[in-house]
Amino acid sequence: MSVQLRGTDSSISIRWIPKYTTLERLLHWVHTATFLPLALTGFVLFAPWLEPLAQGAAGAQIRLIHRVAAVFFGGVPIIYTLLQPRRMLMNLREFLSFGKYDLLWLKNAFPYYVLGRHGNMPPQPRFNTGERLTALVMVLGTITFGITGLSMWFLKGVISATLFQWMVVIHDLMFIVTFAMFIIHFYLAVVHPMMWQSLVSMRYGVVSESYAREHHAMWYYGEKRAKQMYEERQAKGEQH
Amino acid sequence: MTERYAMYIDASKCMGCRGCQVACKQWNDLQGFVPGVRETKNTGSYENPLSLDPQTWTRIKFSEYDNPDRFQWLFLKEGCMHCTDAACVDVCPTGALKHGPYGIVTFERDLCNGCGYCSQFCPFGIPKLEIINSVTGEAKSSKCVFCQDRTVNGLTPACVKTCPAAALEWGPRDAMVAKAELRVSELKAKLGFPEARVYGKTELGGLGRIYVLTAPASEYGLPENPRYPALGTVWQKILQPVGQIAFGAVIVGALGAFFVARRNVVMEEVE
Repeated sequence: MSVQLRGTDSSISIRWIPKYTTLERLLHWVHTATFLPLALTGFVLFAPWLEPLAQGAAGAQIRLIHRVAAVFFGGVPIIYTLLQPRRMLMNLREFLSFGKYDLLWLKNAFPYYVLGRHGNMPPQPRFNTGERLTALVMVLGTITFGITGLSMWFLKGVISATLFQWMVVIHDLMFIVTFAMFIIHFYLAVVHPMMWQSLVSMRYGVVSESYAREHHAMWYYGEKRAKQMYEERQAKGEQH
Repeated sequence: MTERYAMYIDASKCMGCRGCQVACKQWNDLQGFVPGVRETKNTGSYENPLSLDPQTWTRIKFSEYDNPDRFQWLFLKEGCMHCTDAACVDVCPTGALKHGPYGIVTFERDLCNGCGYCSQFCPFGIPKLEIINSVTGEAKSSKCVFCQDRTVNGLTPACVKTCPAAALEWGPRDAMVAKAELRVSELKAKLGFPEARVYGKTELGGLGRIYVLTAPASEYGLPENPRYPALGTVWQKILQPVGQIAFGAVIVGALGAFFVARRNVVMEEVE
């Protein structure tokens, strides 16, 4: 794609690489549009200082919104699995593969994301270590919310009180983990200056060639070549 | 702060007439027999209904206690215990359940949103949820409130007023405890109930019901050693503050990281 630079005669050419399918992007935003109402309505019952919103008919409406949103939230992975099962499995397999380079990534994440030091960052596949960890928490969270949520919804008085109490506690614990993770996800995807292309990719489904090369070298070059390039660079002690 | 009151319940005097059940329904405007809606089934027991429900805030529970010395037919007046350490009050997200005057655990129906946490965290399983629609979650909790509209105006609860056997009494809690202890020593020494005991004096910080029992609590279907639900403590005292602190910390951390990163990241190098 060629872009004419405003007010000049020169143009730059960017090669865009597809990263997400249309369905993936659509479901990502459905997921967002249901997770946030779920978190906010759940927070009303969670935080004592929001008591006025939880009371009476207003509270009943809040609980109803939570349930309606939950149905769509739970529908996202089901629709994805039904419509693009191979993509789903491929992603899941990628989420589950960790290796030596992931430890290196974790070690270098702080200098990289906060201090802007590129040099030692190991090459990453289509999803970097942090993204894969986030994805796994999301998968685990969805399953946990599903089990505990449906139990609280339909099995109150059917399961024992102690089991119900566990459901409440686990639901809340998972809420703390996932919402904290959402804040970090939002920060890195939307706020962080280096990651501006993540939002582009969730809108248009593509990332630029240079972004793929810089952030997902194993995906761009292939695992073997990317590792080789990294080892060579490390051996030279070269700082990017 | 008004003085803590309590209901004295002398199981040794109760004859199981269930006048208290009727008086409770009458005063609190609860359903009794409603053709086609609430009907009585013969289940082979004199006990009726078989459990507390949204329209039955107190009832007499019948148990048989067959020990070698003597057979006892036990009558237990069930209902909200009005605990000092009330888990229902702590888990209620709406403030519908509160500690009120005289130590009553009051319930404000208009504030209830139907979440039902109280029904699941009560160590005695007392609050009953009236489920209006199980899909939308529309519901209301219900339980004995010691006739808060009567008692705060200086009257006794309706069940106490009606009890023909003088098994029930309403008064300052200390006096009720003293009365119960005196009665227990009498039952033990003179009336041949060696297992007689007071129930509710110290349980859960002290209950609003002081029972005189003639048999072990478990024979009445009461927990011998009722405990505040540990998971309620985990939820309210740990998860709630920890969660809010965690969210705050992550937001502050992200903001801090942003300002540091903005200074350090060389935008010309960003791909």
